[in-house]
Amino acid sequence: MRKTVALTLTALMLSLSVVSVMAKTFGDGVILEKMTSVSELLENGDAYVGQRVQVRGMIVDVCASRGCWVYVAGEKPFEKIRVKVKDGEIVFPLEARGIEAVVEGTLEKFDLSREEVIQRKRHHAEEQGEEFDPSTVTGGETFFQIRGLGALIEGI
Amino acid sequence: MNWRRLNHSLHRDIGFLCIGLTLLYALSGIAVNHMHDWNANYSIEQFNLQIDPLPPGVVNSAQVQQILRQLGETKISKKHFQPDPENLWLYADKRMIRIHLPSGNVQAEKSQRRPFWYRLNFLHLNHAKQAWTWVADIYAGGLFLLALTGMLLLPKRADLKRRALMLCLGGIVIPVFFLFIYY
Repeated sequence: MRKTVALTLTALMLSLSVVSVMAKTFGDGVILEKMTSVSELLENGDAYVGQRVQVRGMIVDVCASRGCWVYVAGEKPFEKIRVKVKDGEIVFPLEARGIEAVVEGTLEKFDLSREEVIQRKRHHAEEQGEEFDPSTVTGGETFFQIRGLGALIEGI
Repeated sequence: MNWRRLNHSLHRDIGFLCIGLTLLYALSGIAVNHMHDWNANYSIEQFNLQIDPLPPGVVNSAQVQQILRQLGETKISKKHFQPDPENLWLYADKRMIRIHLPSGNVQAEKSQRRPFWYRLNFLHLNHAKQAWTWVADIYAGGLFLLALTGMLLLPKRADLKRRALMLCLGGIVIPVFFLFIYY
């Protein structure tokens, strides 16, 4: 019996160390032919809410604990858009930071009160293992986010 | 072969078949449950450095090169991003460097996959999809059969039979209790 347990554990560990999965396509992948700029979504997002959109840009940050969101850089300085995926459906690897990607999803709009912003930023800080000071939040926020459905990340 | 013997054989063989997958799901289950306390997928090291302060604003590539020289970085990619005029993020293989320009504070972060746990969670959370979904479904079916055949393994001794029934009932009551409390 002891031998069987030892053999099973060894087989499990060996098989897990041999398998190496390096996916480039995530979720549905990309199906749209037309790309929309991040700037356009941030400036005129109301016109795209509820629509499937495609953005291209460098992934500048990734959820460190679950890989459930990424930020894609825009074309102009200081611009970025958050892409949130359903936990577990798509998992973005941390290695995607600094890599160009094509991401698709449905555009959503959020109108958050100050309390909701604090709650959201606290959760974000916990996920990233960062410190958060609620006094830095001065008011509510309105922003656009992509509900991620698929992505193509090169060189992962 | 009478039904008791058949049930016993089924329970035993399905049990053996489920050992590997049960270990996989059990270990990964604990890891995933405590993801906020311990990142099972990546080991992340953070260290702080200091460079000369820079004025806030859009950083040009010459300034990025100057920062890289100060950090003694040779292999770092030239890719960078500014979330706001005061902060600059640089990217390298498995590393991200966050720089606060006005203070010159640098926070470097090196991440590395935990090979065993990353793969364990990869399978548990079904990121593989495709045929693995079938394997996971068959395993779930195996567990279902294990529970059913287990219930029929009632011992003949009256005291053991009572204990078996109590334990069985306990396993049903526990989730119902927590549903009642939290749902």
